[in-house]
Amino acid sequence: MKQMDRGILSSFDLKKKPVLIGYSIMVLVLVVMSCSMLYPILTTFFNGLKTNVEVNSFPPRFLPSEWHFDNYDKGWNFIDLPEFLRNTLYIFGGNLVITVVVLGLASFSLSRLHVPKRKAVYFFFMMTLFIPPTTYIIPNFVNLKDLGLMNSFAAFWLPAGANAFFLLLLKNFFDEIHYEIFEAARIDGASDYRSFVQIALPLSVPIFSTLAIFIFSSSWNDWFWPSLIMHNDSHYPLATAIYKYVINARGLALNIRFAILTMVMIPPIVVFLVFQKYIMRGLHLGGVKG
Amino acid sequence: METHAAANAPLERKGRMAVFWRKHFWGLLFLLPAFIIFILFLWVPIVKGFVYSFYHIDFVKGNSFVGFDNYKVALHDGDAWTAVKNTVYYMFLCLVIGFWIPIVFAIAISELRRFQGIVRVAAYLPNIIPVVVLYGLWRWFYDPVGPINGVITGWFGNEPIAFMTDTNWSMISLVIMESWQQFGSAMLIYLAAVLSIPRDWYEAAEIDGAGVWNRIRHITLPSIKGLLGLLLILQLIGTSQGYQSQLAMLDGGPNNATLTYALLIVKYAFNQQNYGVAAALGVLMFIVLGLLAIVQYRLQGKEGDVR
Repeated sequence: MKQMDRGILSSFDLKKKPVLIGYSIMVLVLVVMSCSMLYPILTTFFNGLKTNVEVNSFPPRFLPSEWHFDNYDKGWNFIDLPEFLRNTLYIFGGNLVITVVVLGLASFSLSRLHVPKRKAVYFFFMMTLFIPPTTYIIPNFVNLKDLGLMNSFAAFWLPAGANAFFLLLLKNFFDEIHYEIFEAARIDGASDYRSFVQIALPLSVPIFSTLAIFIFSSSWNDWFWPSLIMHNDSHYPLATAIYKYVINARGLALNIRFAILTMVMIPPIVVFLVFQKYIMRGLHLGGVKG
Repeated sequence: METHAAANAPLERKGRMAVFWRKHFWGLLFLLPAFIIFILFLWVPIVKGFVYSFYHIDFVKGNSFVGFDNYKVALHDGDAWTAVKNTVYYMFLCLVIGFWIPIVFAIAISELRRFQGIVRVAAYLPNIIPVVVLYGLWRWFYDPVGPINGVITGWFGNEPIAFMTDTNWSMISLVIMESWQQFGSAMLIYLAAVLSIPRDWYEAAEIDGAGVWNRIRHITLPSIKGLLGLLLILQLIGTSQGYQSQLAMLDGGPNNATLTYALLIVKYAFNQQNYGVAAALGVLMFIVLGLLAIVQYRLQGKEGDVR
């Protein structure tokens, strides 16, 4: 963030006593807020290191008195995390490919190619944004059942292409690429297909990374829908498995539970810290769409 | 197509079709997969929702037409009215507890001269953590012997509060959890808007003698008014469909205190296997939310490009 010489307050304001007191209180509140955001994350981590007796002691303590790293080992062996992780990555990868191919082609076509009745076609896609998903969650389930997609990864991959919001983001992105680039390609004899694969796709890496973040977070987060579609362990994604076997487990020691939760929590945090730039831009795009 | 070409139509039409296809072939081909997928996985379920609401769904024996029976069952179900009441209560609580927090923090963070980046990341962090982890975490927080009750009994010497099992508290507890988890993303959207307000407006207001509060009230808030309205409508549409945390944390209990409308739909379908009534409930919800969505669209249209 660039340095500003003034915000709502000027440096002159801060010399006044009441304003200065107010500003200090505000900073204090922000510090408390930041701590309350970090506290649960650290608690999860530290609880995973305590003995079970200590986690259950009342009132709870923040830092463990002894550090038990073997809890993580036990947690790792409690359920088959790598298998569930693999399923999650399957869903993520397939969703990403379908999004790139199906929505990439469609938005490129809507943005750059000759489409008859473009307005109507666009409306056909965008109308779905106005229909709240919860209202057709049940027919959607029955529909997937009728199509025979129960307990298959295709039940996630194929519907991933039916996302009007992503289509909107992609189309807006393609609209902003300069027309001259495609014109030059046309003059050099490139077909529409070639200008998509060799010009539009490489140029749209940033928007696809943003979409990849969205898709990653939804496939990492979604637990309810997969629990309806998938029927056995070899197909559950991580979130569903955690919900079924860890959150709802009876007789699983709390410290082991927190150790597992920590292990599940860390990859998305790492992804976030690495791809922060794209995530912030994605949010901004989301904000524009509203 | 022009009409005067009717005389030698067949030949002309053939030629025109060829031109049409040469011009539009790639455009249509590129659209084809999206067309198929949107129809198969969005439009078919949406239309089927209306159809199914008039049928009794049976996966084994086949569906049978029952007329308006599903709607009658839905409207005569006492739980449905409880669910409507709970949903309205939930939306209300989300407004009272959750709506203003991101605005206040966005304005406060925009005033930070240093460490702004760190505070922003901290505020957004709970959005990153998988929700299942948060469910596990907050179940422990809200436990009668968890850390929050530790503070209540230890520091203030009050009776512990049964956040989850007390019907007066359960919905409030869920809303607090969700507000904590989600305020970061709304905050970042507001923050971008607050930071894009020209600084000289404040300068001018200050020279004219406006105090800090008046600057916020007459410059900052009016500048983000469009965004406020938009996020308000979006929050209402979003919270009216909320069911996941209610389902995960309490399964609609205690004593149906957190049974929202969307959760009722899910329960009709997957606990009672009564897909017809669930579809009918969905249609009723669609009608109500459709009206809300139209309002949002009108609002968005009026504001133009809201940034």
